[in-house]
Amino acid sequence: MAFKIASSPHVTQNLHTSTVMQRVILCLLPGLVVQCAFFGWGTLVQVLLAIIVALSAEAAVMKLRNRSIKASLSDNSAMLTAILIGVAIPPLAPWWMIVIGTTFAIIVVKHLYGGLGHNLFNPAMAAYVLLLISFPVQMTTWIAPSTVVMHSPSVLDSLQLIFNIGAHVNMDQFRLGIDGVAMATPLDTLKTDLSMGLTRTESMTKAIFDGATGVGWFWVNLAYLGGGLVLLKLKAIRWHISTGVLAGLFVASSVGFLLSPDTQGSPLFHLFSGATMLAAFFIATDPVTAATSPRGRIIFGALIGVLVYIIRTQGGYPDAFAFAVLLANLCAPFIDYYVRPRSYGHSTS
Amino acid sequence: MLTLLDQLDKGTLWRSHGGIHPPEVKFLSNGTPIAKLPLAKTYLVPVPQVGENCTLAVKVGDTVLKGTPLTQGNSIWHLPVHAPTSGTIVAIEPRVSNHASALPVNTCVIEADGKDTWCELVPNELDSLSHQQIIDKIHHSGVAGMGGAAFPSHIKLNPASEIDLVIINGVECEPYISSDDRLMREYSQNILAGIGIIYRLLTPKRIVIAIEDNKPEAIKAMQVAVAQSALPAGSVRVTVIPTKYPSGGEKQLIQIITGREVPSGAIPAKLGIVVHNVGTAFAIYQAVVQGKPLVERVVTVTGKNVGKPGNYWIPIGTPVAHVLAETEFKPDPEQKIIIGGPMMGHALANIHVPILKGTNCVLVPSNQEIDTTPDEKACIRCGECANVCPALLLPQQLFWHAKAEEYDKAATFNLKDCIECGCCSYVCPSDIPLVEYYRIAKSALKQAADEKQQAERAKQRFEARLARLEEEKLAREAKAREAAERRQATMTGTDKNAVAEAMARIAAKKAAVQASDNTANVVTTAELKDAPQGKAAVAAAIARAKAKKAAAANAEDSDTSNVVTVKVSDAPSSPTGAISQDEPLSQKDKVAAAIARAKAKKAAQQTDKAQLETTDTADTADNASELTAADDKKAKVAAAVARAKAKKAAQQAETKTEDSLSQTTTTEAESTSYTLGEVNADAAIDDAEAIKKAKVAAAVARAKAKKAAQAVLTTAEPNTASKVEVEPELESVEDSQTQSSLALPSAKETVDSVATGSLADVQSAKPTSEPIETASLSSDELKKARIAATIAKAKAKKAAQEAHASSDSSVND
Repeated sequence: MAFKIASSPHVTQNLHTSTVMQRVILCLLPGLVVQCAFFGWGTLVQVLLAIIVALSAEAAVMKLRNRSIKASLSDNSAMLTAILIGVAIPPLAPWWMIVIGTTFAIIVVKHLYGGLGHNLFNPAMAAYVLLLISFPVQMTTWIAPSTVVMHSPSVLDSLQLIFNIGAHVNMDQFRLGIDGVAMATPLDTLKTDLSMGLTRTESMTKAIFDGATGVGWFWVNLAYLGGGLVLLKLKAIRWHISTGVLAGLFVASSVGFLLSPDTQGSPLFHLFSGATMLAAFFIATDPVTAATSPRGRIIFGALIGVLVYIIRTQGGYPDAFAFAVLLANLCAPFIDYYVRPRSYGHSTS
Repeated sequence: MLTLLDQLDKGTLWRSHGGIHPPEVKFLSNGTPIAKLPLAKTYLVPVPQVGENCTLAVKVGDTVLKGTPLTQGNSIWHLPVHAPTSGTIVAIEPRVSNHASALPVNTCVIEADGKDTWCELVPNELDSLSHQQIIDKIHHSGVAGMGGAAFPSHIKLNPASEIDLVIINGVECEPYISSDDRLMREYSQNILAGIGIIYRLLTPKRIVIAIEDNKPEAIKAMQVAVAQSALPAGSVRVTVIPTKYPSGGEKQLIQIITGREVPSGAIPAKLGIVVHNVGTAFAIYQAVVQGKPLVERVVTVTGKNVGKPGNYWIPIGTPVAHVLAETEFKPDPEQKIIIGGPMMGHALANIHVPILKGTNCVLVPSNQEIDTTPDEKACIRCGECANVCPALLLPQQLFWHAKAEEYDKAATFNLKDCIECGCCSYVCPSDIPLVEYYRIAKSALKQAADEKQQAERAKQRFEARLARLEEEKLAREAKAREAAERRQATMTGTDKNAVAEAMARIAAKKAAVQASDNTANVVTTAELKDAPQGKAAVAAAIARAKAKKAAAANAEDSDTSNVVTVKVSDAPSSPTGAISQDEPLSQKDKVAAAIARAKAKKAAQQTDKAQLETTDTADTADNASELTAADDKKAKVAAAVARAKAKKAAQQAETKTEDSLSQTTTTEAESTSYTLGEVNADAAIDDAEAIKKAKVAAAVARAKAKKAAQAVLTTAEPNTASKVEVEPELESVEDSQTQSSLALPSAKETVDSVATGSLADVQSAKPTSEPIETASLSSDELKKARIAATIAKAKAKKAAQEAHASSDSSVND
């Protein structure tokens, strides 16, 4: 009888791409839940919408490319991209924004570059940047956290706002604080106040802040940090990039804070504001677009951290992870080229 | 090394990068003692080295005993193979190999007789053997690395460099294999005896027996054996290392034990380290102490699809099919038969292949145990492969380039340092068969390297050929130049003097001729007397030639061509003959030859004459040039002499017919216009000499006149034949570019004046010409005679030309 021929090794461990992606998605959930708790159902609606669009776009491209739709959808990568876009954009942004963003992410950023494993840029962040540049007003209009807001949006409110049905609901009402003043995100608020000549301490007394960090945002970040640590534990990601990002941001913000405590946010504020933890554990760690060697990944992460700090403090946008990640994506091949591990039996030079 | 030795003694371990922990399935096979299987009917012993560095020691039909060598050879790389059992060689033919490629390999097929009779074994007393004897024993027993690579052990035991550390590899990190485990448990004393032999051969500072901590029984057994061994205390120790695949890899083990890395492309001996497998140590013991060649080994037969998993003593060459049949193999559909472990073993398509010296395991897993590998998916560059790579490579980058067939780029990521352990494939979440890509890339690189080497060799061959051709060309040129220089050298000094002397002699001769009676008779006699060296002969020849010329000149136009033809063909014969009988040629000979040659040339150029003549004279020229080397100056001298005579002849012709004069003179004028003036000749020819020459010429002219007269009487005279090449001489005069122009007019004048009187002597001149010829030949100096002959010949030519000219005179006028 003929026996089956295969190349060694004949055994493999049972951890597949789809499992890895699944784990990442699961670890995103705590953050998503906390985000919904503070900012209403809008985020969940956005996420579900993004997933539908992403899977449809993925299937359509697979169909066009004559490849297995099932295999492609089952790797969970499109779903992960969709969830990341969903949690990244403002919860009550109109539906067409997330549709445009997700379609762009899947079709242009991912598949036009060759599909999974071949894209140069992080699809979610590329989509975010596209939306931010194209629709800056909608993309920077975050509602206030539920604990400090006058009215929290209900599920119906969220749906009406997102799908633009029923004119009686106004977005602005969900941005009003208890004091009746429209609230921006903590990062935005601090940036605006500092530009208006206020000191950091003065700005931090506002209702959106809770001592050292922004109300709600601290918990959102904490939840993503927790999920990220689980990811590390599951070995779905390795520590290099996340550590690099956090260390880079921490060091840069510490230096800035020590030099000018009045005009700079504290390191703690930077680490627990905006998308810091989400990006550090779930976005920057996208292996496809990151550097590959361990040392290269630390450099890659640190580059993101430093860029984020620079753009947050010096740039025109309140948060900066999308830009920082895309810039670091550009540098990844370069880093890979120059940062190679010393192979066994080779001298260090 | 001291600190390292301390750390070795302490059992300090270093970390090797990466590695994996695949599920351990050693329990399937390591619980039972090593057993024996019934004999197979046939054994397949591959003899791949036959034809390379050894020859077959048996032929089809031979009866062999267990242990009979099947190959013989003197090469150090020859690894002998032996008959694994007693029986008959039934075939020696290519059979499918136990290799991933399954390529056929030359195989001795032995039909077992069932008796399994050993050949005569010679046990040895270790102490009585020298190092070389031990190594020879190991070599002739065919001991090879039992860990899988089957590298000839005698080479590793005879290293060029000093060995500080020997590591005995009992790690056995493959998840299923337990053959070394069982061997250590059951034969620890014998293994240690083998280690003792290794110790004696290599005298290392330390021997470390490395065993993974998942083999506690083996560790215990070996520790006991070490404690009981007679080896110096502290020289051998058992070091327990943590279980991690691929710690048993040579490079990884060295790193774990010593913290040092084997440099890329180097062997461990460079670090003063040698690694031997425990199975090899056992085989060394058997070979040296028991005198047993390596004909069987322990093989783990395991997997859920064999009924009797365990370890077995299996003769080398036993078909895998037999092993499986005896261990109750139950195949699944799409069954995999793996030779070696699940991480690095190769799958067999055909189980009718032999167990080899390096075969440590036959793994027959069920489909649940080792499932089929899922389809390859896209690499997401997760980098898990890099995390587990023990060689610290970037497998995903290697894969990226290997898949794109950018093998050169893959090579820059140190593809060659990949040990194909399979850790990267094991962890790959995209189920990419990375190792397979690397194997393909490696073989492509190897092929490219081979092709490059071939191209390089071809280029070198081509360049060597070009260089050789160039060298040959240069050598030819150098030789030619040397020859030319030699010729130049021989011309200097005495030669010139000789030429001058010759000139002087000729002048003297001419003077003598002049001084003598106007009759040719008297002239010849005088010459004979005055010039015993043959000058007389020269003169005589000259006279003779002129006579002939005159005869030719007077011949009828129609006849001339005939005569000339005949004469030309005859001409070479006499000088050639004369010279061939001669002694080694003196310079005078050369002069003569040169003259002859020059004339021959002229003859060739004499296109007015019949084609036949031209051809024949060319032959003459060839003959002449063969005889001697050219001596230009002498040729010139000779030519000058000839020219003078030519002039005279012309003058003489003038006296006969007024018409002919114009032609000849014109030619002479031309020839003189080329004159460069040879120093010797010029110096000699002052006025006085001119007079002398004139006299000579007069005499000559006289002779010619006589001949002319004779010619009138007898139209075609056979005797004159050899002096026909008349015309060329005129050209010779041109060629040689000699002679003073001053001399010529005076000479001519003299000739003119003398010519008239000379006519009277015509009658007597003719008869004397014959005796003179004879005399010149019989005279002491044949060489001079030859000169004379050639000169005469030249003159004869002239005369012919003259005759020709006279016939054409009207045209020239």
